[in-house]
Amino acid sequence: MSNNMRKNIIFFIPTFSFVALFVIYPIVYTFILSFESENAYTLNNYFKVLSESNPLYMLIVKNIALSPPWGALLHNIVWVLIHAPVTIILSLVISYMIKYYYIKGSSLIKALLFLGMVIPPVIGGLIIRFMFDENIGIIPKIMRLLSLDVILRIPELSKTWMNYPSLALFSLILGSIWLWLGFCITIISAGIETIPQSHIEVAKVFGASSFKILFKVIVPELKTVILTVFVLTILWDLKLFDIVYASTGGGPGGSSTVLALIMYQYFIYASRYGGYGRSAAVAVILTIITLIPASIYIYRSLKRS
Amino acid sequence: MNIRAISKITIGIIIVVIIIIAAITALLIPPSPPTTTTTPTQTTTTTTPAVKVKLTVIGPWAGDEEKYFRQVINEYMKLRPDVEITYVIQRAEDIASTLPAYLKAGKTPADVIFSAWGWFIVDMAKSGYLVDLTPYINQTDYVNGIFNPVKYDNKIWGAPFTMWLKPGFWYRKSFFQKYNLTEPKTWDDFLNLLNKIKGIPGIKKPIVTGDSVGWPIGDIVEHFLITFGGPDLQYKLISGSVKFNDTIVKSIFENRLIPLLKNGDFSEPIEWTTAKDLWWNNEYALYFMGTWITGMVNDPNDLSFFTLPGDKGVVGGTDYIFVPKYSENVNEAIKFVQFLATKGQVIHASTPAGKIPTWTKASADAIWSPMKTVYNKIVGAGMAILPDLDDSIGGDWQKLSWDQFKLLWVNPDKLNDVLNILTAQHPAIKGA
Repeated sequence: MSNNMRKNIIFFIPTFSFVALFVIYPIVYTFILSFESENAYTLNNYFKVLSESNPLYMLIVKNIALSPPWGALLHNIVWVLIHAPVTIILSLVISYMIKYYYIKGSSLIKALLFLGMVIPPVIGGLIIRFMFDENIGIIPKIMRLLSLDVILRIPELSKTWMNYPSLALFSLILGSIWLWLGFCITIISAGIETIPQSHIEVAKVFGASSFKILFKVIVPELKTVILTVFVLTILWDLKLFDIVYASTGGGPGGSSTVLALIMYQYFIYASRYGGYGRSAAVAVILTIITLIPASIYIYRSLKRS
Repeated sequence: MNIRAISKITIGIIIVVIIIIAAITALLIPPSPPTTTTTPTQTTTTTTPAVKVKLTVIGPWAGDEEKYFRQVINEYMKLRPDVEITYVIQRAEDIASTLPAYLKAGKTPADVIFSAWGWFIVDMAKSGYLVDLTPYINQTDYVNGIFNPVKYDNKIWGAPFTMWLKPGFWYRKSFFQKYNLTEPKTWDDFLNLLNKIKGIPGIKKPIVTGDSVGWPIGDIVEHFLITFGGPDLQYKLISGSVKFNDTIVKSIFENRLIPLLKNGDFSEPIEWTTAKDLWWNNEYALYFMGTWITGMVNDPNDLSFFTLPGDKGVVGGTDYIFVPKYSENVNEAIKFVQFLATKGQVIHASTPAGKIPTWTKASADAIWSPMKTVYNKIVGAGMAILPDLDDSIGGDWQKLSWDQFKLLWVNPDKLNDVLNILTAQHPAIKGA
C-alpha cells in the first residue's frame, strides 16, 4: 500500500463513517421499513398509500377534475411545472434589469426580494396566508381593484384564496415564487456579473434589442447557471412542507396536500399507533421523484468537471 | 511497510469502529423508562428543599386567556414558594403531533400538560406513557360523565379543569336594541331575524364564521345536528351507530344548514379572533363561539346569546390535565394537578376566562358574574351538556371533519361527497 493510499484511507474513513451513520444508514433503513408491514416484507405499504381514499392522505385522486384536489403527487408536479419556469424567467428578467438598467432603489428591490429567502418557511407560509386573505391581503385587493374577479368570472379571486379548493394550491405556488425568487436572483445576478461586458456591447452595436440581448446573449452564456438554479428549484419544490403545513394544512378538501406533508402525517399517525412503513413508503416515492432532477444535475456536473 | 504507520492506521480504524458501534448502539437500544413509582402510598416530604422544584406546564392559552391561567399558577406559587412553574403555550393539535415522539424516546417536554382531547390522552395511556391519576382525584366530586373521555382500563388518566360550553349564537345587546331585534323562538323567527339583519346598513353577512384549523365550523355543524336530531344523535354519531350519510343527518344538512349557506347567511371562514373583532365592530351580527368569548370582548355585559330554537343540548367540555411518567418531578406534578383540579378551578372560574368549575365542591358564588348568567341561562333552559363530536371521535377523523366542513362552507353543493367521506373515514366504520 502506497503512502498516498494510506493517507487517503485515514482521511476517508472518519468522513465515510459519519456519512454512513447519518445518511446512508437512515436511507437504507427507511427503504427497508417501507416494505415492512405486519411483521412481513411486502408491497402492502405502497399499495395502501397509493390507494388511500382519505383526502388528507391521498396521493392520486381516482376521478381527476379540472380543479384540485388532484392528490399530493400531482400537486407536487403542478407545483414544479408552474413554480420552476416562472421563478427562473422572473429572476432572469429582474437580474438583467437590475444589472443593465438604472433603476432607482434597485438595491432595496434586491434586498426586498431576498427577504423571502431569509424568512423561515413556516413564517413564509403564514405571510402567504395573509397575502391572500380577503380582509388583510394584498392579492384579493388587487383583484378587486382591477375587477379581475368580474372580468375572469372567478369571484373567489377577490376573496380568501385559501378557503377555496380551486385556488388554495395556486395561492401557495404563487407565494412560493416570492419566497424562492431571492435565491434565484442572487445566483443568476452572480452569473450575469461573469459575462464579459464586451459581449453585450457588441450586441448593442449590431442593434440588438434588450429582449434579444437577454435571450440570445445572456441566456446562452448562463446555461449552466440556469440549469443549476432550475434543478435546485425543482428539488426545493419537491421537498416543500413547512409553508403548506403553516398555511392550509393541506386543505380545504385535501386540495393543497404535498408529498412531504403526507409523509409527515403518516409519521405522526405512526408515532401514536405504530407502523412507520407507510410514512417510509411515501418517503421512498418522494426520494425516487427527487432523484430524477438530482441525477440530471449530478450527471451535468460530472460531465462539466 | 513501516510498523509505526500500520499501527497508526490500526488505531485510527479501531477508534472509528468504536464510534460507529457506540452510535449505532445508542440509536438502536430504546431508553429505559425511569423507575419512578407513583403509588398512592408515596410519602410527602415535609422539609423545605433548598433548591426550588421546577415544573413546566404546557397549556393552550395565549393572550388574555393566558393572563387568566397565570393567575392560577401565581396563586399556587404563593402557596408553594418552593415550586417554580414555567408556562409554555401549545395547542392540542401541536401536542398531539409532537408529544408521542418525545414519550417514545422516554422524554417529556413538560411535567404537566393540558389537552382537550380525551382520545389522545387515552392513546398515550394505552402506550404506557402516563401517570395513573385515579388515586389522586376523587371522581365523585366532579360533574357527571366528565371522566368518560379519559377513562381506560378502569383508571383515569386525566384530571378535569374548568369547563367551557358552546351554547349558541352570540350577539351584542346594544346592537339588537338599536335595530329592535329579538331572540328567535322558532325556526321561522330565526330565518326572519337573518333577513332583518341582512337589511341593516354596514352589515356584511348576518353570521360570521370563525376559522382556525377548522374547529369553529365543526362547532356550528354540531349545534345544528343536536338541535334538529336531538341530543341522542350526538352520542350515536360518536359511536358510529348513526352514519353521516344516513337520512336523518343528511336531511338536517339539506333542510337547515345548506339553505343558509347558499343564501349567504354565513360569512366565509375568517380566522376566529379576527372574526370576533369584526363581529364586535358590528360588521356581522351573530357569532357562534364557546363561552371563552366572554373574556375576549371589551364589555361582557353587552353580550348575550341564543341557541337555535328547539335545541335541547349544548356541547361542553374541559381541558384535561395529565402527567407524563417521564417527568423528573412526578410527585410535585401530581400535587399541582390536584390543586388545578380543585382550588385552581375556583380561581380560574373567578377570572374572565369564560369557564365554570367541573369540581362540584366549588362555590357558585365565585364564578365570574357574566359567566354565571350564561350558565344559568343554559341550566334554566334544561339543556343537556354533551361531549364534543370531533374531540370524542378524535384521531385523523377529527382533522378530516374540520377540513371537510370548511370545504362545505365554500362549496355547499359538495354535501354528498362530504357526508360520504366522513362516513367512510369514521373509525367505527373504517375500523382504524
